Parts: sequence; structure tokens; C-alpha cells
Amino acid sequence: MIQFDVHYALELLPIILKYLHITLGMAAISLVIALLTGLLLALIKVFKWSGLVWLADLFISFFRGTPLLVQLFLFYYGLPQLFPALKDMTAFQAAIAGLSLHFAAYMAESMRAAILSVESSQREAALSIGLTEIQAMRRIILPQAARIAIPPLMNNFIDLLKSTSLAFTLGVAEIMAKAQLEAASSFKFFESYLVVALVYWFVVVLCTKGQQWLEVRLSRGYR
Amino acid sequence: MSNSMLQRTLWVLFPLMVMLSGCEQSSESATAEKTIRVGSSGSYYPFTFVEKDKLQGFEIDLWNEIGKRQGYKVEFVTAKFSGLFGMLETGKIDTISNQITITDKRAKKYLFSDPYVYDGAQLVVHKDNTSIHGINDLVDKKVAVNLGSNFEQVLRNSSVGDQINITAYDGGMEQDVAIGRMDAFMMDKVSVLALIKKSNLPLKLAGKPVETIANALPFKKNEAGQKLQQQVNNALETMHADGSLARISKHWFDADITAKP
Repeated sequence: MIQFDVHYALELLPIILKYLHITLGMAAISLVIALLTGLLLALIKVFKWSGLVWLADLFISFFRGTPLLVQLFLFYYGLPQLFPALKDMTAFQAAIAGLSLHFAAYMAESMRAAILSVESSQREAALSIGLTEIQAMRRIILPQAARIAIPPLMNNFIDLLKSTSLAFTLGVAEIMAKAQLEAASSFKFFESYLVVALVYWFVVVLCTKGQQWLEVRLSRGYR
Repeated sequence: MSNSMLQRTLWVLFPLMVMLSGCEQSSESATAEKTIRVGSSGSYYPFTFVEKDKLQGFEIDLWNEIGKRQGYKVEFVTAKFSGLFGMLETGKIDTISNQITITDKRAKKYLFSDPYVYDGAQLVVHKDNTSIHGINDLVDKKVAVNLGSNFEQVLRNSSVGDQINITAYDGGMEQDVAIGRMDAFMMDKVSVLALIKKSNLPLKLAGKPVETIANALPFKKNEAGQKLQQQVNNALETMHADGSLARISKHWFDADITAKP
């Protein structure tokens, strides 16, 4: 009945690619914030810093325990009703806030697992030569943990990258938004969503290549 | 070694990205005094739709004309229909131009302009369907409506309202009736006709429009909203009078849907 319209798909591709930088920008900025926040949370839990552990637990529990879409709506539509100052927050910023905090919770656990996987003898040896706990963490344990953390963190990042597609519900003009809008007026759903699926896939494949390169570099000392 | 290099790269990249994102934001939020932000779904053919990356349709032409008359700079904001009222509520847009039907509930919360489109609530079924001719045939049928639209209330308020399986869609319901996943959907008659003509989907109207609906532009209930309501009403009035509103309507629908029936 309905045939695949190759011409339409090829025309759509450059239109969607024009908005790829929004998707990538959202993902990159969220990644950096999520990594830093996640690391802080992981350290709080590993060191069992009193007074802060319950806060970190609450944070991880909430942001891992509720859907990202709900969090995005909370940030963008909900919070400004309580705090009028937040009305100036753009959809782009709200999406970054939601993505960062949501994936910080996941990444915190990935990083905590990696830190805990470093032999405790490494820490003991570091302390025995006079390093403080913090120094031992920074110079001895974290560099070893980083290598182990790469695969699970990449998992989290791929998930984050694809989750940027939820930002259209807030009005961010990213690639999924463009695909949906074009599909709604052309009624060529299959072509539109296939094109955007391939774009996501291609970006993830590139990221995976980057991961391989990173893994080789970080494991040089183990060969 | 490699680690510290990575660290350094990250520290360079981070502020860069923040700056980049900052640039994007400032250009977006730089709203002059006379700018009016008009929200629409961009997926309601032919009122507001995107084709080849260009937002167009009846609502867009309407606002470009209003903007010209009132000296506004019109900024169109596209978002999911279900999110538009939230954006109006939080002041991210000044009005919604998406065939918003005036209902009692909405009129309590928002100021409405004078109606600029009169339309009917229309049931649509698959071309081969012979069993549905009106709301009373919808008992135990699966019926789609747009999420956040008033058609759900129209169905619920009917005498068989509690026996209809209503599903709210955030886009794509026409397709689902065409492929048989749903039995019918309800939408305004004007866009149904345009949609069937454009999409070639195997759909047809089922029975007569259920009720007449008047569509208008909602504004927030505050001083700024009141001012906008007044200015937009003035513009609409002159556009009615000199026939430009009818002209825009005929361009998209081959008919004048803006005159009071």
C-alpha cells in the first residue's frame, strides 16, 4: 500500500542533521555536570562522610527511582510555580538540569563500583608511605578506578545521549523534535523515524569508537 | 600520565561548552518589549505544521498579520500540544495559537480573545468502517483524541460517555485509525477534511459534527494578559472587517471558517 519513500528520507536527513548540534550540546554539557556530580556522590558514599551520606543516598534514590520524563516536567513546568524566579529557565537549560541530575545518580553508582573494585591493599600501601586518605584516593585509587569505570560510564552516557530525545516535550528543537514535526505534516512516519534512528545509531557508534581508544590508552600500564 | 592529559582536556572543554551554551541562550531569551511569544504544536495540519523545516499554516499567517497590525515582533515557539498550557502558565509563551476551544473550565482560568474559528467536533473512522455513524455507536469502541484537547470531554459528556474506551494521543492518532489500531478519532471537522485530502490516509467522516465549537486565543489572567487580549481583539476585528481573515482561511481551507455560523 504505502512504499518507502527514499527521496523523502534523503531530503529529511540534512534537515535533521542541522539540529544535531543541539542534541550533542545537551548531551555533552549534561555529561560533564553528571560526571562531576556523580564523582562527588560516589566519594561521599565511599568515604562515608557523616551528615552527607544520607543526602547522597536520598539524591540517588530519587533521581534513579523516578522517570526522567517526570523529572523534566517537574523542573520545567512544576518548579516555576513554586519559585517564580525559575520562570526564566529555558527549555534547553531545564533539559540539561534534568539529564545531569538523573544520570549523575546512575554514574555515581558506576563510579562507586569502580572505586570499590580497586584492591584495598592499594589504599593501605598508599597510607603506609604517608599519603592522606584524599591523596591516596586522588593519586592511587581514582586513576585505577577510572579504567574500570569506562565501560559502565559509557553505558550511562549512551543512555543519556538517547534520552535527550525527551527534551522535545519541553519544546527543545533537537533532532527527535524535527523528525516528529516533519512526520506529522508528511504522514511519512516510517521514513522520518528511521532517519532519526540511524542518526542516533551513527553517533553512538562514533562514541563507542572513542571508548575503545580511551580503553587502550588507560590500560597501557597493564600490558 | 594519560589521565592527567584527559583531565586537562576536560577542564578546557567544560568552560567552552558552558560559554557556547550561554551564547545560545542569550540570543534566545533576548526578548524586546514588543515581542509576543506564540506557542503552537507545529503538528496540527494545516493550522500549524512543519514542512522542510519551515513552520507554516493558518495560525502562522494569522499571527504574522496580527503582528503587522499591532507592531509586535512575533516569535513562534513549537512544543508538544500537551505542554503548551504548562508553558502559558509559567510565562514561557504569551498565548497559544492551536485552535484552542473555549470551554467553561478554561474560561475560568484564562482570558480568551474573540473566537476566530468556528468548527465542529467530528468523528472519523476507517474508510471501510460501516458500523459507526455517531457517538451512540461508540459503545465499547476504541476512540482516540489528542491529549489535552477538549474532545475527550465532548465524548465523556455524551450519554454513552462511560462506555467508550478513550485513549489520549500525543500525535499519530490518524495513523492508528488508518491501520486499524483504533476504531475512530475525534477532531475538529475543518482539519479533518484538510488532513484526509493531504495525507491520502484511508479515512472518512462518520456522521455529522457533534457540536459547534468556538476557537480562540487564551491569555493569562493578569494585567499583561488583559492588554494583549484587547490588542489582539482589535486586530481580529479589523481583520474580520477588511476580509483579510477570510482570505487567510480560504488559502488553507478553500472555505471561510472564521465567520460566525
